[in-house]
Amino acid sequence: MNTSMKSSKRLSTTLTYIVLILGSVLMIFPFVWMILTSFKTQAESMAIPPQIFPSTWQISNFSTALASLPFVNLYVNTGLLIVFRVLCAVLFSSMAGYAFAKLQFPCKNLLFGIVLVQMMLPSQIFITPQYLMLAHMGLTNTIFALVFPGLVSAFGTFFLRQTYLGIPNEIAEAAYLDGCNKWQTFTKVMFPLTGSSCAALAIFTAVFAYSDLMWPLICNTDLNKMTLSAGLSTLNGQYTTNFPVLMAGSLLAMIPMVILYLIFQKQFIQGIAMTGGK
Amino acid sequence: MNIKRKLLAGLMAACVTAGLGTGLTACGSGGSDGSVNLTFQIWDVAQRDGMQAMCDAYTAEHPNVHIEVQVTSWDEYWTKLEAAAMSNQMPDIFWMHTNEILKYADNGKLADCSDIVETEHFSDISLANASGSDGNLYAVPKDKDTVGLVYNKEMFDEAGVAYPDETWTWDDLVDASQKIYDATGKYGYMAYGDDQLGYWNFVYQAGGSILTEDKTRGNFLDPATKKGMEFYIGLQSYDWCPDQNYFAETAPGTAFFSEKGAMFLEGDWNILSELQNYPDMVGKWDVAVLPACPDPLSGDGRATISNGLSYATSAKNKHLDIVKDVLKFFGSEEGQRIQGESGAAIPAYEGLEETWVGVFDEYPINVQPFIDMFDYCIQSVNNAARPEWKSEVSDTLLKIYTGELDLDSGLQAMQDAVDEASAEYYE
Amino acid sequence: MQKTSKLARDGAVWGLLMVAPTIIGLLVLNIWPFIDTIRMSFSKSKPFGMFEFEGIDNYVEMFQNTEFWKATWNTILFCILTVPVGIFLALLVAVLLNSKIRGRTTFRAIFFLPMVVAPAAVAMVWKWIFNSQYGIINSVLGANIGWLTNPSIVLFTCAIVQIWSNIGYDAVLLLAGLQNVSATLYEAADLDGASKVKQFFSITLPMVSPTLFVVMIMRLMSSLKVFDLIYMMVDEANPALNDAQSLMSLFYRESFVAGDKGYASAIVVWTVLLIGVVTIIQFVGQKKWVNYEV
Repeated sequence: MNTSMKSSKRLSTTLTYIVLILGSVLMIFPFVWMILTSFKTQAESMAIPPQIFPSTWQISNFSTALASLPFVNLYVNTGLLIVFRVLCAVLFSSMAGYAFAKLQFPCKNLLFGIVLVQMMLPSQIFITPQYLMLAHMGLTNTIFALVFPGLVSAFGTFFLRQTYLGIPNEIAEAAYLDGCNKWQTFTKVMFPLTGSSCAALAIFTAVFAYSDLMWPLICNTDLNKMTLSAGLSTLNGQYTTNFPVLMAGSLLAMIPMVILYLIFQKQFIQGIAMTGGK
Repeated sequence: MNIKRKLLAGLMAACVTAGLGTGLTACGSGGSDGSVNLTFQIWDVAQRDGMQAMCDAYTAEHPNVHIEVQVTSWDEYWTKLEAAAMSNQMPDIFWMHTNEILKYADNGKLADCSDIVETEHFSDISLANASGSDGNLYAVPKDKDTVGLVYNKEMFDEAGVAYPDETWTWDDLVDASQKIYDATGKYGYMAYGDDQLGYWNFVYQAGGSILTEDKTRGNFLDPATKKGMEFYIGLQSYDWCPDQNYFAETAPGTAFFSEKGAMFLEGDWNILSELQNYPDMVGKWDVAVLPACPDPLSGDGRATISNGLSYATSAKNKHLDIVKDVLKFFGSEEGQRIQGESGAAIPAYEGLEETWVGVFDEYPINVQPFIDMFDYCIQSVNNAARPEWKSEVSDTLLKIYTGELDLDSGLQAMQDAVDEASAEYYE
Repeated sequence: MQKTSKLARDGAVWGLLMVAPTIIGLLVLNIWPFIDTIRMSFSKSKPFGMFEFEGIDNYVEMFQNTEFWKATWNTILFCILTVPVGIFLALLVAVLLNSKIRGRTTFRAIFFLPMVVAPAAVAMVWKWIFNSQYGIINSVLGANIGWLTNPSIVLFTCAIVQIWSNIGYDAVLLLAGLQNVSATLYEAADLDGASKVKQFFSITLPMVSPTLFVVMIMRLMSSLKVFDLIYMMVDEANPALNDAQSLMSLFYRESFVAGDKGYASAIVVWTVLLIGVVTIIQFVGQKKWVNYEV
């Protein structure tokens, strides 16, 4: 019994590794390709059949990328954008998600319907109206303009509502008995239980904010007020794209995202310890 | 709880101040000392330095004016410009493309530029590309272009075929392609199903046209148009020509510079960057005028499509006088010369073509054929309804290529698409 | 009695206050533009946001258009191809990444990578992999399959890329759901001698089901709204364009290329209705399998 359990455990561990390693190869492949391309010449990057390794490693692509864009400003803007969007998304979505999951109030289903409807809408229809709103307020070409469409998050609300629905009611009831009101129950008892979900939402929101390319280009014109991804896209010409420089720039742009991920990764691990649950 | 509230309050305050603070500075296009800050929006990063040089030349003589060149990629440029036009926040100066100018000009978004363009120095085609449907100038001509035949010299040598020149006809194109394919196994002429860089040229060489002369209807049923289309689409059936599936995955230029094929059609605007981007290929290729139709139904069998950009400003610009003065400079001999010498594009200003040719002195290539073709070039096809029929026509073309439609019913479908869309504009 | 009604009133006030920022934001930023879209779908559009009311003409035109029905079918097919497989793989990855193995942090970081790789790099790599003449797959298979140009294959190819790009996102969310499951549950099951597979179905799946539900809803919605991926993989000159065109590709073409905002709006309204129906079905169906704490 004991030995068979052990061997079956070893088998499952081996299987886990095999699947994860195979998956990792698939996942990491475009990333490796991106690194290789960033060291190629333009001709090598477009060669058919593709040339896998550059014949000489061109570091100049990185200096070209650095020289053609105001990277410091772009890093700051992207950082601000991500911080504001993540804070807004986590804060407002936690509040709304908790209310939808655990509180009773008038028109609850109707209001939740609004959240769902937003998720059904294709983002392309928002661009022009949101630009016009900003233009009326005279706020185009500002950092606020970058944050504007992401002030609230329907997805975040739905996601956290589901998380709160998974938390037993007894925990909240215990808090009432201790004399907490609804708001205190939320902030002191319930909110801390959702650490790993909030971290996941933060990663999700950050990645979306980071990769959103269309909106920054529409709402802002000044390159100094762009985000990294949007700034990078201005390196594309109408007819030609210099892939090596683009890839070099994209690699430079990824650095803050990787750092951010490593920070949240820790939060993830802590999330386990914090959710005692039943 | 308190922390959360403070956080929220602080966040909102930060958003608002960040917004307002930068908003105020961004709006301040007119300083108290009489200085004026202008924005100049373009879509091609390769031309930024050339445009900046032109602005610098202007601001050197007008120290109170500052011009900032801003690049937005082509994909977003038009969405942004349209939204900006709806809210009267257009950039002070911006590039206009023939695909879009009619929409902007005909809806009163562009300032009339008739008074600042020295019309005697621009060709009729350049002027037409900067005009609205009413015939008035709503922009200042910037550049002009033609389409040429780019060929791989090494492959011609290997097959023992003479390089293409102005005596070439369609028959020579087919002959040479076959010989190169037999000798080297590489593709000959790569007949990509594009309009400007493809079949349009051949239609006009055969004496046909895409639109009727007054541009209010399609002209696909014309026998000469059919002749051009038939020849061009027919090229795909030769072994030496890749099919359209191939081009869907590999652009003809990419194939050419990876030495997979001997010839393709290319616009002059790409030549400089191709020389720079493919240093190993320099010296191995050159440019010729397009081959002529040997038996056109009308005309001399020669044609190439010519397009051109222009500079425009909003009809509601706050500094219209100053902006028009800048535009006037952009359209002047001096402004156009700076543009040409930067290698950005062939100046629209007649007689300055050589400034652009001179940029290529350092390369073993002869770009003169692009200039020679201006003698018989055709204005790029356009009418107010083109955005609506463009996709439908190219879809239909693909259906002819795949055999889903035969040539006659395909041409009929193209004709219907153009007529139906145009009917709303030209009653 | 008095206490409960006070509690209920308290809950109502707090509830409304807490959803207010989100609801107001959504109404202004998203719902209002959608109402505008609905209005435009009944109008004939002129450039620069002008339009005049014309009734249901756009819808009549749309329902008579074979291209539109083709796009609707493509969209539904794409959804069927991507959602079940994608969610299964993401759940598998999340469960494996949640198990106690060495190098877990590294594996997590690797699966996260596709999210931050430049879209241009993603498109470049996949287009090369699937290139029929020079691509790696056909060289390995020794075949000549038009992955991106064969009308009956192209959508499957796009589906593979879509699944690949979403695994990371979904796994992150599901991982969060898994981490809310208490370890003591598994310990108890271990003592009972329940197998890992049995534990998965009796503990993991029910506990993660609320998160799984939200991921599924999101994927259904986003696959029915697919545009970017197809736009990148299948270019204008591709003869298989018609067989890969989704509803939102059609919208993009009508709205941004042809400039017919009224007709394009009708396509959006149709798409939203389609998504709405699918969502309602899911919300009814969830009662059978999603496990909420009450």
